[in-house]
Amino acid sequence: MKYILMMTGTKADFEWYAKWPKKDLQAQFAFMHAFNKELKDSGVLVAAEGLAFPDQAKIVRAGSNGEPITDGVFPESKEFLAGYWIVEVESPEQAYRIAARASAAPHPEGRGNQPIEVRQVMTGPPPEFS
Amino acid sequence: MKYMMMMSFKAGKESMAKGIMTWPKHDAQAHIAFMIGFNKELKASGEFVAAEGLAWPDQAKLVRAGKDGTPITDGVFPESKEFLIGYWIIDVESPERAYEVAARASAAPGPGGAPLNMPIEVRQIMGGPPEEYQ
Repeated sequence: MKYILMMTGTKADFEWYAKWPKKDLQAQFAFMHAFNKELKDSGVLVAAEGLAFPDQAKIVRAGSNGEPITDGVFPESKEFLAGYWIVEVESPEQAYRIAARASAAPHPEGRGNQPIEVRQVMTGPPPEFS
Repeated sequence: MKYMMMMSFKAGKESMAKGIMTWPKHDAQAHIAFMIGFNKELKASGEFVAAEGLAWPDQAKLVRAGKDGTPITDGVFPESKEFLIGYWIIDVESPERAYEVAARASAAPGPGGAPLNMPIEVRQIMGGPPEEYQ
């Protein structure tokens, strides 16, 4: 079973993150590096990516003749995907345990652990639709 | 340059009532046929990196580490929360090309075959942390 583990945050969360002291960022990067290596070595890692900051996000819609209409204004409450892992595991519980590890990544004091959204990745549309 | 194109929606009653599972079967089939053809085209042009569809939001869990590192799961989300439902990663020459590709996905057929013109969020994928932090 493939599961996706998503880290998200509002613009305010990203602004807070951008102000972390360098040593906290280094500790987080070191944790992520070791965590990814461990997932790779144990054969559960399928993919992991980090995304550009929300100030670079665009919403694209097709106009009446199919041309892209881009918009860069978002509500303050919008949660942006910051990064994700896809893992191949035996059970949802295993995915939750891995997510808890990511949740406990080091961060400056004053905030709780990062929530991680976990959802199964589907292999394709239901047979009746394909 | 790698870009992620994200399809998201709110899982409130109102938007679920308009979801693909409620469409006439042939409209849902046309939508899925479009997506299969679109992915094939991106593969043929060499721009396709990955694409995934996610389970419905009712299966989503929020996981936090408890004090001893054990997972604490929660399945309650605000009505306003947007759920990622699927994404593509493409490798393109410019952001403009990424927006063009996203506009194609945006115009996927909906009920009655009319273009959905759904919003697609587009953002660059980063290669890794800056060197000074490694």
